[in-house]
Amino acid sequence: MRTYHKDINADFICKQCGYFVNAQIQISGVVNRNHCPYCLHSRHVDLYKPGDRLCACKALMAPVGLTLKRSRDKYTPDNHGELMLVHRCINCGGLSINRIAVDDDPDMLLAILKNSAKDRSALLNECRINSIRLLEAIRHRHLVQTRLLGRPADLWVEATML
Amino acid sequence: MDLFPRKNYIARSSSKPMPGAYAFEQIIAANIDQVLPVFAAADPEPRWHMLDRCLIAAESYGIPSKIVITKFDLVQGTPAESKLNIWIELYQSIGYPVIVTSSKTSQGLENLRQTLADQHSVLVGKSGVGKTSLLNALEPGFGLRVQTVNQSTGKGRHTTSHLEMFPLQDGGALIDTPGVREFGIWGLNSTDIAMFFPEMASLLGQCKFGLSCQHDEEPGCAIRQGVMGGRISPYRYQSYLRMKDDL
Repeated sequence: MRTYHKDINADFICKQCGYFVNAQIQISGVVNRNHCPYCLHSRHVDLYKPGDRLCACKALMAPVGLTLKRSRDKYTPDNHGELMLVHRCINCGGLSINRIAVDDDPDMLLAILKNSAKDRSALLNECRINSIRLLEAIRHRHLVQTRLLGRPADLWVEATML
Repeated sequence: MDLFPRKNYIARSSSKPMPGAYAFEQIIAANIDQVLPVFAAADPEPRWHMLDRCLIAAESYGIPSKIVITKFDLVQGTPAESKLNIWIELYQSIGYPVIVTSSKTSQGLENLRQTLADQHSVLVGKSGVGKTSLLNALEPGFGLRVQTVNQSTGKGRHTTSHLEMFPLQDGGALIDTPGVREFGIWGLNSTDIAMFFPEMASLLGQCKFGLSCQHDEEPGCAIRQGVMGGRISPYRYQSYLRMKDDL
């Protein structure tokens, strides 16, 4: 089935923060730029698969947490998957998992990891239904910092002080 | 030869003869009772957006449509059959009769004969879907020229190059048309088009934006709510947006 691919990779202005977002692959490092790199908000436009643009909801999707992509290789350890961003639609509550782009603000991503601890029970329940395992602020902080910054922030601070 | 008064007709927008040129109205047939959009189950792959265009054009001219699926033998018993059935159920749920046929196995031909009896019908569809083969299977005496689909491109070879009306044994007549690559909508503007989607028509004017709603970004749009609620297929809604953008 061919789907409507018009302007799928066009630059856009974020509906949440109003910043202009460049969707070129050379800048974002991802084929489908689906969220703003500054506020990390997305829009609920895909229904069955990324880029199908079949969803009529079109409301804002807020970043609610981070997760790791599951590997198809059953022998791969659980924490070896790609770091992904979890969005939840503010209108219909639909969840989606999106790739983190090169130019996404790492401080915002860390803040999302920290804030996803708040009001966690309802969110965890929704994620469980959708088979999404959310990363935890304390348990996975080291892992996320390493993925985003190359090394844990505490070590980085120590290294610059030397 | 008599020239009858024109009670109705179906037309499409011509393809542009050259870049920058204007398209013009291309009348396909007049004084017809029904339009039969013909699509192959496979080889060439069905383009459902083009089917939607044919259906909307027929709706806009007030002519009933019945969908004909050909070459069903190519997908029978394969995973493609279940995918095709989903589409068939979708169009049947909207209210369009769907006739599944195969010129090779003669499946559905009796049903099609009954549909065509005492009616003036026109076959429209892509090149290579089997419009003329269907006619040959219905009335073997015609012996019309047909060709296989080009295996390199997967497209038809434009074998039928002129439009012709054939009288049928059971009464009525069938108009065979040359295959088309595209079916442009003629004479409609982007605000009218939702009226001709039967599943959307009853929802028009039902939201706070009334009849000026564009059904795209408006919060609380009744048609978008219909898509979210499962009343309208997301593929049909997407088809609608695409058609609206093209006009």
